[in-house]
Amino acid sequence: MKFIPKEINNNVNISPTSPVKDFFELVIKILGLILAVYVLLGFVVDYIAPRISIKTEVDLGRLFSSRLERKKQVYTELQVQQILDELLKNSQNLPPFNYRVYVEESRDINALALPGGSIVVFSELLKQARSRNEIAVVLAHELGHFYHRDHLRGLGRSLVFLLISSALFGSDSSASKVITNAMTNAEMRFSQSQEKAADLYALDLLNKTYGNVAGAIDFFEKMSEKEKLWSFFYIFASHPYPESRVKALKEAIKINSYTIGQNIPFEYGQKNE
Amino acid sequence: MADLIQLIVLIGIGYFIGTRVEKKHYKSIEQREGKLIHLPVVSGEDLLEDREISEAQLIYANAVISTDYFKVMLAGLRNFIGGEVSAFETLLDRARREAVLRLKEKAQGADIILNLRIETCTIMSKLGSSEALAYGTAIYYKK
Repeated sequence: MKFIPKEINNNVNISPTSPVKDFFELVIKILGLILAVYVLLGFVVDYIAPRISIKTEVDLGRLFSSRLERKKQVYTELQVQQILDELLKNSQNLPPFNYRVYVEESRDINALALPGGSIVVFSELLKQARSRNEIAVVLAHELGHFYHRDHLRGLGRSLVFLLISSALFGSDSSASKVITNAMTNAEMRFSQSQEKAADLYALDLLNKTYGNVAGAIDFFEKMSEKEKLWSFFYIFASHPYPESRVKALKEAIKINSYTIGQNIPFEYGQKNE
Repeated sequence: MADLIQLIVLIGIGYFIGTRVEKKHYKSIEQREGKLIHLPVVSGEDLLEDREISEAQLIYANAVISTDYFKVMLAGLRNFIGGEVSAFETLLDRARREAVLRLKEKAQGADIILNLRIETCTIMSKLGSSEALAYGTAIYYKK
């Protein structure tokens, strides 16, 4: 037998597909899959959230409050808690939680309603506030979320999202990280209609507590002035204060003929702790 | 956002540089294969010609080819839905051909390489390199 060298021109070991095409095809397919699962689980959460019992929510709330809990409420926390207690006295049909205010150091002007009755108010919000009424508006707004049970729904969606991401990209993040992420995402999930419903609840509660709605528009107007500069980034804002909300508030004030009374001044951190 | 940018940069580097390196390597492989085409390498154990042997020698060669981030991503995405991982085909092909080429280069002056065996092993399994080890018996006929 004689050896005759022969060149082999086609390589059967390599698929003729283009890797770039392959890449985009896979990305689109997988993103589609994630989206489908996300939407589906979102519906599941919407279904489950209003059916979660108060007891389960209190248990869930402990997960958050144990992270926020300090031995003693600081001075500003007590100040804000006092405003909250005033509001609570006049509120009706709220879930029977132990409502507590936590002031967290942050440069965000924001407040969160967490399961189990915890309300986190960021320090910057208090620094910017000029009156007790403005703070009362924010607190009443968060109570509105509790009243409509939005906070669970919002948290539920973000929990679903976290579950998906941890399933796909591995779960090397610790449980506390997951909770923190869920916390910061919690308020992102409220829809505009949920926000407006909470606003209207806040207005009503404010009127019941103080006999007027002072500060209601001030706060949101201040926010929408700020937002104007950043209108391009609007869609990225976690807690937008669009002018439409101010408009809706003004309308509600007119319809219900609320009186806009005097603001009660507030100063941040008067007594050093 | 920063993570996303980092990911895109890594994939971009992997794709553009990885493709260039691969093209260059294939060019070199084809060129050297053409040069060494007259040295037969067979997996059989019997001589093709009935001639007297002056020397027989065990020879081996290996090659390790690394993947790039683009290929890793492509294979990772493939993991979700299953199917052929075409991303790593060129990697294996290059490692195997490079190893056999080095074997031939090592057996300079030989008349035939018998009993060719090719094995792979995993080194740097996390980063995804492909290694091929080729060995065989170089036969030198009596002149």
